[in-house]
Amino acid sequence: MEEQAYTVASDSDTPGGEKSSSTFPETAIGIDIGTSHCSMAVWNGSQVELLRNTRNQKLMRSYVTFKDDIPSGGVTNQLSQEYEILSGAAIFNIVRLIGRVDTDPIVHASKTLPFLVQTLDIGVRPFIAALVNNTWRSTTPEEVLAIYLVELRTMAEIQLKRVVRNVVLTIPVAFSRFQLTRVERACAMAGLHVLRLMPEPTAVALLYAQQQQQNVHDNMGSGSEKIALIFNMGAGYCDVAITATAGGVSQIKAVSGSTIGGEDMLQNLMHHLLPNMDSLFSSHGVNEIKSMGLLRVSIQDAIHKLSSETSVQVDVDLGNGSKISRVVQREEFEEVNKNVFEKCEILIQQCLKDAKVEAEDVDDAILVGGCSNIPRIRNLVMGTCKKERIYTEMNPWEAAVVGAALEGAIASGVSDPFGTLDLLTIQVTPLSVGIRADGNTFVPIINRNTTMPSRKDLIFTTVHDNQTEALIVVYEGDEQLVEKNHLLGYFKITGIPPAPKGVPEINVGMDIDTSNVLRVFAGVLVPGTQNPVTPFMEVRMPTVEDGHGWCAEALLRKYGSSLDLIMVQKKMQQ
Amino acid sequence: MVSGVSIHRIIAPTHFQHQHFHPPNPTSRRWKQKSTSGIRCCKKVEERLRTEKNYYKLLGVSVDSTNKEIKEAYRKLQKKYHPDIAGQKGHEYTLVLNEAYKVLMREDLRREYDASIGQLRFSFGRNIPDLGFSTWNGPFRPQALFVDENACIGCRECVHNASNTFMMDEALGCARVKVQYGDDDTKIEVSVDSCPVNCIHWVEKEELQVLELLIRPQPKQGHGIFGQGWERPKNVFMAAKAFNKQQKHEGMHHQRNGNNSHRIRSSTTGEEETPAQAEARASASIKLQMEKFSGIWSWVNEFLRH
Repeated sequence: MEEQAYTVASDSDTPGGEKSSSTFPETAIGIDIGTSHCSMAVWNGSQVELLRNTRNQKLMRSYVTFKDDIPSGGVTNQLSQEYEILSGAAIFNIVRLIGRVDTDPIVHASKTLPFLVQTLDIGVRPFIAALVNNTWRSTTPEEVLAIYLVELRTMAEIQLKRVVRNVVLTIPVAFSRFQLTRVERACAMAGLHVLRLMPEPTAVALLYAQQQQQNVHDNMGSGSEKIALIFNMGAGYCDVAITATAGGVSQIKAVSGSTIGGEDMLQNLMHHLLPNMDSLFSSHGVNEIKSMGLLRVSIQDAIHKLSSETSVQVDVDLGNGSKISRVVQREEFEEVNKNVFEKCEILIQQCLKDAKVEAEDVDDAILVGGCSNIPRIRNLVMGTCKKERIYTEMNPWEAAVVGAALEGAIASGVSDPFGTLDLLTIQVTPLSVGIRADGNTFVPIINRNTTMPSRKDLIFTTVHDNQTEALIVVYEGDEQLVEKNHLLGYFKITGIPPAPKGVPEINVGMDIDTSNVLRVFAGVLVPGTQNPVTPFMEVRMPTVEDGHGWCAEALLRKYGSSLDLIMVQKKMQQ
Repeated sequence: MVSGVSIHRIIAPTHFQHQHFHPPNPTSRRWKQKSTSGIRCCKKVEERLRTEKNYYKLLGVSVDSTNKEIKEAYRKLQKKYHPDIAGQKGHEYTLVLNEAYKVLMREDLRREYDASIGQLRFSFGRNIPDLGFSTWNGPFRPQALFVDENACIGCRECVHNASNTFMMDEALGCARVKVQYGDDDTKIEVSVDSCPVNCIHWVEKEELQVLELLIRPQPKQGHGIFGQGWERPKNVFMAAKAFNKQQKHEGMHHQRNGNNSHRIRSSTTGEEETPAQAEARASASIKLQMEKFSGIWSWVNEFLRH
């Protein structure tokens, strides 16, 4: 077979331009990149089919090993044993690390991973390295993801016997726009064109819409509206979505998400069983890495077993004289991870509130993701939704990728004579976007959970007499503290006609299209009219590069008091 | 150059405000023009906007449609125009569609919107058929059926011929339209022709609501035990004409006031409207409408006395 060699393209630019400018000749592939596992699916003309690797696996481990000169990922690589990925040579949990800066607590928590995560706490990309021939070889999360995606792409091309270019990727709800650009960049490096980045639970919602549509066809019943709550929890992230489904249209009412998952439970239990773990492993020597790996594997096993058993025996010899040998009860595990479960419940409550849906109105509670077997999670979801049982028509491991493949087919313009693809998902914005104004207030322009596409604008004015320029600093988030939101970018508008403060009208508009591209428009209006004084500025966000904390600080230094970091009190009404 | 380059917000956003910036896509100019000015902006274009940018027309639903109907229409249109299906050219359309949906699905926003386009909506009449308002089977048609209950002798001929369209009000002893076009056209024709007193009329769709409102018997003010009871206009068609005239007059009046108040608002206040204020304003406008109603009733009574 002709072997095409794919090399990683330069880390130069994200694919720009219109994302869905025309109909696509090829069917886009759905990829679910998870923190621990990954899968790929495609519409084969009559249904969605999951692609298998050479070892006949549908679910592949997400990691890349830098053992030899050529890095190899979990798609093709045959692990001699589980410990190999814990030898320091493998980078994993990439989805947790991508697009984060070294001040992020998630990055700090990742220091217990067997490879090297170094932080300097200055708000830039953390230093990540794999152990190759006893040397720490540096890499970046984007590069690791790109290498992995290249493997996935090669695998798909061999099986489908065609070039694969367009993909729909599922992403966690909690991802910031900056993280999304990192994912897009990794795809560009792997030669892939992202049609959609779909929040995971909304992909599940699309599959649910298809199933409901199918039921209507089968039973000839009426297509009444059904409301489903989707709870998705994997190793790295937890997402909730509420969808109202009728006639194959999945209308997302609200989403909520957070960076909590199986990884946090694992770390909590590790810390619980080995309280001095952080100091024990801080030096990252070869022996420490080995014991860290041993501990991780045995505790992971224990957690899996606790899903079906009420207690489990943990026996691990860390090699440096310390040993763990004890029984862990399920109650103990649940107690240790109390905060994780509480957070899950808060996410569900928040989502219900944002969607203006009562728990009683939820028709189906859908539970997917790697954590869906944990009894406490099941009880929690059923309890919060006031349901006797969980929706059973879905494979919790495959739901998201199947939804992504459906979306891929729809966005590629594929139509199905049997109406199986007569579907649509109407998405909402997961986070608010706005600008800094009123001193240091974060003023949202498009609120979170607004149906996409969306366009809103607000009028602002100057605070100084004869002020001729204004700085537009764009943030994303829902925190009142402007600094706690993600900085997306900034630009200056000039040519404000000299006037007393409060007189000029500065219009700032935002436009989010269905591909989730954010454009910010700003300009000065002639008072009382709609006519701009000078041409409007149109800026596609985000524009900030790595890190953002110091960008805002630099602006503060340069422009002084107007960038004070003071709290926000007022929020825009919906 | 000034040192402080920060700016602050002066005007709260409303759902009526629209983009002032240039849309990214040149093909969108058509929509942009339609929505360059909002209700708040008290411009001459307002009149034009009312006819062009009508959310009800956009969604293809009637002004008295229920949330369920709006939802269905919205989903149907989304399936046609959503950029996932129609490509980037669907962007501008879907933006307006989302806006329309949001406004019409929220009772407070919808009321405000209705008031702004001079629309009178008898939402209470939809769900309670006993109040005498007919519902529609299938799409709207320009003509509707109306029974002049003053003339009806309660012979039940029409109910017999088209039982899905007409019903008998046993309390009043006269027939009434239950569902417009509830039966097929021949049945309806037969029933209209069968009326011995010719009290079943074909009326314009627009007139129907007012006629059905006015034909409802109203409690009559009495003196002691004398004069109490129920009454309705003797000539409901004349009453409806006068009602509409009054309505139009009130509407113009309201609009003028509205414009004035908007002008004052936007020029003097820099504060955003709180939800509580919005609610208060919405309920105030409802009250105003209600008062309008009672005014009309006293006027109708006047009319009858003469």
